[in-house]
Amino acid sequence: MAITETLRPNRVIPVLGVLALALVWLLDLGTIQPNRIVPGTGHGLLSAVGWTGAGLVTGILLATIVLSTLPLRRRYELLLGLIGLSLATMPLLLDMFAALHLPEGSPYARSSVGAGFWSLLFLLSLMLIETLGRLEARRWLQLILLVFIGGSWIVLLRGEGLESLSLVREFNARPDKFQQALWTHLALALGAVAISAGLAFALALKMIRSPAWQRPLLGAVSFLQTIPSLAVFGLLIAPLSALSSALPFLQDLGIRGIGWAPALLALIAYSLLPMVRNTFVALTEVPESLADAARGMGMNEHQVFYQLKLPLALPVMIEGVRITTIQAIGLTAVAALIGAGGFGGFIFQGLGQAAMDLVLLGALPTIALALLADALLTMLAASLKPTPATA
Amino acid sequence: MIELKNVSRRFGDTVAVDGVNLTIETGEVCVLVGSSGCGKSTTLRMINRLLPHSAGEILVDGEDITTMNPEQLRLNMGYVIQGTGLFPHWTVARNIAMVPRLLNWPRERIDARVDELMTLLDLDPSAHANKYPQQLSGGQAQRVGVARALAADPNILLMDEPFGALDAITRENLQLEMLRIQKQVRKTTVFVTHDIDEALKLATRIAVMDQGRIIQHDTPENILRHPASDFVENLIGKQDRGLKLMSLRPVRDLMANHTEPRQSEPGEHVLREEDSIRLALSVMLWQDLRQVAVFNAQGQETGVITRERIIQEGV
Amino acid sequence: MRVWLPATLLASLLLVLSAGMPVLEPLFNWVQPGKQQVIYERESFLFLLQNHLMLVVVSAAVGTFVAVAGGIFVTRPFGRDFLPLVGQVASIGQTFPPVAVLALAVPVLGFGEAPILLALVLYGLLPILRNTLAGLEGINPAVREAALGMGMSPVQVLVRVELPLAGRVILAGIRTSVTINIATAAIGSTIGARTLGDPVIAGLVNGNTAYVLQGAILIGLLALTTDSLFEALERSWDRRLQSVGV
Repeated sequence: MAITETLRPNRVIPVLGVLALALVWLLDLGTIQPNRIVPGTGHGLLSAVGWTGAGLVTGILLATIVLSTLPLRRRYELLLGLIGLSLATMPLLLDMFAALHLPEGSPYARSSVGAGFWSLLFLLSLMLIETLGRLEARRWLQLILLVFIGGSWIVLLRGEGLESLSLVREFNARPDKFQQALWTHLALALGAVAISAGLAFALALKMIRSPAWQRPLLGAVSFLQTIPSLAVFGLLIAPLSALSSALPFLQDLGIRGIGWAPALLALIAYSLLPMVRNTFVALTEVPESLADAARGMGMNEHQVFYQLKLPLALPVMIEGVRITTIQAIGLTAVAALIGAGGFGGFIFQGLGQAAMDLVLLGALPTIALALLADALLTMLAASLKPTPATA
Repeated sequence: MIELKNVSRRFGDTVAVDGVNLTIETGEVCVLVGSSGCGKSTTLRMINRLLPHSAGEILVDGEDITTMNPEQLRLNMGYVIQGTGLFPHWTVARNIAMVPRLLNWPRERIDARVDELMTLLDLDPSAHANKYPQQLSGGQAQRVGVARALAADPNILLMDEPFGALDAITRENLQLEMLRIQKQVRKTTVFVTHDIDEALKLATRIAVMDQGRIIQHDTPENILRHPASDFVENLIGKQDRGLKLMSLRPVRDLMANHTEPRQSEPGEHVLREEDSIRLALSVMLWQDLRQVAVFNAQGQETGVITRERIIQEGV
Repeated sequence: MRVWLPATLLASLLLVLSAGMPVLEPLFNWVQPGKQQVIYERESFLFLLQNHLMLVVVSAAVGTFVAVAGGIFVTRPFGRDFLPLVGQVASIGQTFPPVAVLALAVPVLGFGEAPILLALVLYGLLPILRNTLAGLEGINPAVREAALGMGMSPVQVLVRVELPLAGRVILAGIRTSVTINIATAAIGSTIGARTLGDPVIAGLVNGNTAYVLQGAILIGLLALTTDSLFEALERSWDRRLQSVGV
């Protein structure tokens, strides 16, 4: 029974493949702009990369469709290789595009990514997720794949051929600002998570020792979560600027109504709910019967906590850290509006200048950071889960 | 009447049910018994088309079930499963009323029927009708399950290990209920269980199954007296047969009747005419008696049964 | 009835403040001395509130429809094949920061209300989808089996049994989605939608703290009102079903 089940034709990948074929042929693969401001001319698949390119893309997509329906034992492994390689080498399409269409001797001309390229990227990623799922791939394999594809993209994007890509141009115009944005973003997000983790631990312990505090504390912390971040950032400006004008030494430290100070405060406030809730649940979910068994065998309270409750609570707490970190990375991007720096700065600058690729320069790294944090922390939580003893 | 003619069910390369031939007469309780994976549940679920059969024919009252609309087929069959499957968002009364409502019965008829069934299954309507399934005990919930199955007065009752999840005492009570109800309503019933004692207690005929095939299909007594194979013998318990056979026969068969019923004081345990002779023997051994008085339903002493006679003629 | 009280109070406060903000001029003068205009007047607060609500409500309605339909589809026998992928995408999608999703909508649809609606719908349907899947998958299989076995058609099972049982979880998902969308819509002011975020952005750009406060207070009130509204909805649902724990 198991054999026939796994050899059934896959229904998802053909649907994705057909959709991808349709979209990549119908939509523009890329656009050429004579300079930064003027809107460019779009190019469909054939026009953009010629018969070789179009043939390659079509061929690969058809291959995935056919391969997924064949009753081969190793088809998912083959699909993984095919899709993984295709995803990793997608920037080469842009390379071809630029080589074919970029006007010579026009230093301001640039190429841009079109909807067709994005659709192809999106649908290939979905196919990858489906394939990994069918293979029941372990986490580390998924991470290796991500690193491989991401790394390949970074290498290719730095190459000669893609210098003309608008996105790359925007980066090249401000590499140190990019670095600074990266460090600021990480510092704010991770700093907020770290501080709130410490606070949450203390608060959770307080809640365990004095149950009367549970409802009001959880209530206060959820109240904060309901209010949109923009509002909280806004509300903190007035008191903080009043405070910093009253105490000038704060200004020397950089604490003002705007900037990193209100951002950090707000981020910590937002991180509190998921952290407190998770830590509290983590520390209390260990059944008392287990703790009693330990006590009955001679452990004192201290040992029960550090040897029993804490190790069992760790995976749940890491899960809380994961949710909080992802949230914090997103909120930090919003905090750019009050001058905190980070990748949000590029997003809003780009929006203000109607320079879409500057927006991308901010949005894509933010998403990448969030996905990376998610992958790493999930792996960490999984590795900390006590494995059942194999007899 | 239900007929299975050469019915098989395949999943890919596995054969779950292999060429089963079975006829269940109207009013009969047919118990499918066997260990896990023998195909008994699969067979049951093919009768109401929850599973399609891969080969053969299944006829209900002469009609091929594949020619019938599946919902119509099932509306005419009561279905009781382990774990009850009662809807948690409906009250007990609403749960029981499920099929009558699907059949668009008038409101008063539905209400009357719900009351009737709850009383039949020993559930006080005034106390339980508006409760939710989560508020009932396991035994009460399963009674509601049975009431729900009987609600639209179907011709056929399908029961898939209905008492498996209950504790021993509740299970025994419900088995007795089943026997009592069956005397009143006489539904054609197909009952699946892995418990041979339950089968022996409830069945008109038992179908022993193993690896998708029926090994023996006969009355409980015949299965005990003449098991068709080692497998069946092991199932019924090689050494316990004597007492098991005795549990099938009522005291009525072997008692010495008085010329007319007498009024007398019953002893500590009242032995009735329909109790099994195994029970009578048990009482006599416990109380160290050579004979015990037997009573009828009105509480009058109608005869005696002797230890000697049981031992000589019991099996 | 009492369960609706907090929501009604908050809603009234919200409306009163939106209409009557100019009354508080002296207060804002104290907060932000030295500015000619302390009350945001580019658009009326009521208009901004209305617009903000419209965006959130429309995206919630579309998102709910798509997410619930999709969730139902992948839990039916003919859609099962798509369940793993859809479940994964619903999870991964929620990792994307909302502001990034919003920003990515602009290259596709330009500025204004259209990209915001798209971003709100796409991002907002993820929690609803996740909860629909959890709700439907979490139903005791015996219940479905009994319903089918007793003669209900698959559609009847879905409508009379599965959806009522999963409804509570789905409602919680809609609540999460709306909460996130109120926040995201506020940020949408940066790409030309006229929402309650406008005064905040304008205030940040011009250094006018009064504007920022006005926007922030109204956004906060809107969020709290919606949250207590959903709380009341969830309680009414519970009361209707009287579920006594699983």
